[in-house]
Amino acid sequence: MWVNMGPQHPMTHGLWNLRVRIEGEIIKDVEPELGFLHRGIEKISEDRHYNEIITLMDRTCYVAGLAWEHLFILAAEQALHITPPERSEYIRVLASELQRIASHMMWYAAFVQDLGLMSPFLYGMRDRDLVLDLFQSFTGGRLTYEYMRVGGVRNDLPLGFTGQCRRVLDWLIDRFVEYDHLCLASTIFHERCDGLGVLPAPEAVAYGVTGPMLRSAGSHRDLRKDRPYSVYDRLQFDVATATSADVTGRYLVRMEEMRQSVRISRQCLDWLDDHPGPVLAAQLPRWLGAPYAPVGNESYLLKRNYPTGLGFSMIEEPHGEAGAYVVNDGGEHPYRVKFRSPVLINVWAAKRYLPGYRVADIPPIMGSVDVCVGECDR
Amino acid sequence: MVTLFSVSNTLSAALLGALAHILPTPLNGWATSSGVVTGLAALIFGAILLAASMLNTILLIWWERKLLGRFMDRRGAMHVGYAGLLQNFADGLKLFRKDTVRPGQADPLGFWLSPTAYMVTSLLIFGVLPISTGWNGGSLPLTLLLALVIFSFAPLFIFLGAWASNNKYSLIGGMRSAAQMIAYEVPILLAVVAVVIVAGSFDLTTIVQEQRDYWFAVPLFLALIVFLTGMLAEMERIPFDLPEAEAELVEGWNTEYGGMLFAFFMLADYLRALVGSILVVLLFLGGWTLPSYVPSVLTSFPLAGIVWFMVKTYIVFGIFVWIRASLPRIRTDQLLKLGWMRMVPLALLSIVLATLVVKAGCPPVLHCVPPMGG
Repeated sequence: MWVNMGPQHPMTHGLWNLRVRIEGEIIKDVEPELGFLHRGIEKISEDRHYNEIITLMDRTCYVAGLAWEHLFILAAEQALHITPPERSEYIRVLASELQRIASHMMWYAAFVQDLGLMSPFLYGMRDRDLVLDLFQSFTGGRLTYEYMRVGGVRNDLPLGFTGQCRRVLDWLIDRFVEYDHLCLASTIFHERCDGLGVLPAPEAVAYGVTGPMLRSAGSHRDLRKDRPYSVYDRLQFDVATATSADVTGRYLVRMEEMRQSVRISRQCLDWLDDHPGPVLAAQLPRWLGAPYAPVGNESYLLKRNYPTGLGFSMIEEPHGEAGAYVVNDGGEHPYRVKFRSPVLINVWAAKRYLPGYRVADIPPIMGSVDVCVGECDR
Repeated sequence: MVTLFSVSNTLSAALLGALAHILPTPLNGWATSSGVVTGLAALIFGAILLAASMLNTILLIWWERKLLGRFMDRRGAMHVGYAGLLQNFADGLKLFRKDTVRPGQADPLGFWLSPTAYMVTSLLIFGVLPISTGWNGGSLPLTLLLALVIFSFAPLFIFLGAWASNNKYSLIGGMRSAAQMIAYEVPILLAVVAVVIVAGSFDLTTIVQEQRDYWFAVPLFLALIVFLTGMLAEMERIPFDLPEAEAELVEGWNTEYGGMLFAFFMLADYLRALVGSILVVLLFLGGWTLPSYVPSVLTSFPLAGIVWFMVKTYIVFGIFVWIRASLPRIRTDQLLKLGWMRMVPLALLSIVLATLVVKAGCPPVLHCVPPMGG
């Protein structure tokens, strides 16, 4: 019997459809159907100024907007041959790591809700709000930030931000212990999660699965270590891994990643306290500095005499490895933009890690994948 | 002594007496005849029971929402009425105004019958549950058995409605409900047998009276645990709410029900939760009695038995809410395993303990609860 789980279904956490063929309660086959949220972000990007694409990046993954902004500006800066000031790189890393915490908390809340745990859902959302308050204080936004700029970030951190941020991080570190008590200490949690959705490392690599799903299988692949971008090579942190390759393993990896993110954020805050300076590159092309210039067909004709270039960046986004490819043909708009979404690959591998388990196992397994349909469909 | 039946009898006699003044001669004699008075008394009796059980059910929903809110670090319903007391009435009114939609392919008879029968059987149990001395529908020798039999009708109607809905989620939910029933009914009955052995009766009033020396929760702690767990499954609450596991089955067996039909299911669910809590209080926590060392001020006011009974019931339900707030949902196969491999042996063990208690008397060490007042 084929059962549609989605596109309007509590399991999906977004608009996508998982078609499941079941015999009794056993899953025989699955077929993810994606594309319900396709907005053509790559195509729209070809029609926009570089800084205007940052607005789209917030919408690409609506729980990890800053991480995707980070991804795009890294590629764009490479394509446009712009070097951002050092201070802005630290702010970007700080923002990305806070975003990772917020995203993982959103995942935690949704995941425990799938297991039927109601209270931790609200605890996760409550504590995520503190991180969102931090975002609000330095970007002005809580969901769509539009904060990073090609050549730096829009504005410096507000006065007293570092102290407030440290207080929030201290609070969060204590909450992670509480989260673990609510889940790992529960026998039912282990019965529901141990040995579920197993995806061994070699197969994960073959499918192209990345991020916490890959690291939960014992792999140490983390772009922040393997291919450091921004200032990650100057920061101390450990790669979170687990060996079980199942739902519990992914839970452990994400919880440890949040702790490591707190560690990285603290180092960034210390550096930022000691090194004031500019946060936006001084020598930017004039048209780049005016992001709200009229966009119309005539602007296609206004080709600047600016060096062409290609830009490629890969970052460790909260869901996995995201990639961006930007072709600069010397115009105001990029000639072509391409994104690699980790969630798309992670979801497609469901054909491998879902069959054989039960219908009741679908929510925890898919919950442990951390699906964000926005970046999946783009 | 004021009993529920004396109250309704007095009301009935007063009403019919007033009516007899207006009616012409041959009719007024008939109106005040004992048969008519008793008949109307029975109707009033039923109306009071219905109103009381519905009111308590709605209060129970409020109690759950407030408790759950506090467990989750929020406040629960706050805006309609004092502390949100009227929120559920507002919700009920909203559902009442909604259209009830039957899917085109659904079987009409099963679709309409299921919520009605579910509701009616849940309400029926209140007729046999004693709330205090004399506050019950009638003294049958097998009240407990009757209550449990009516109680376990529900999965049948759930399955009927689920099948009639012609929806895959509903069907899976209904199947799970049927499988679940097999897993928990046996341990529940075995745990009840332990109580019956110690009390020596199937009559709930007698069972409460037998707890005058010690609450059965003390010597039959094991049976209490089994019974509580089984009741959780019987009520289909987290961690045993697999038939309506909203994560994978949308709303389980009542996916296709909306409007007042959904309200019926919802109300009946809470009616059953109320019955479950009441049964725990009756069987293990001394019913409407209180320990004798409690100052008599607390037990001598009118209807003290009912008040304390309700307090205990709400506390027991609070424990269910607490469990709901802190445990994840388990899987069907794990529930079956739990039912057959853990709960049945424990229930059998508690029967052995019960026979020991009867044979040797409750060991003095267990007399931690002082003798109860009547």
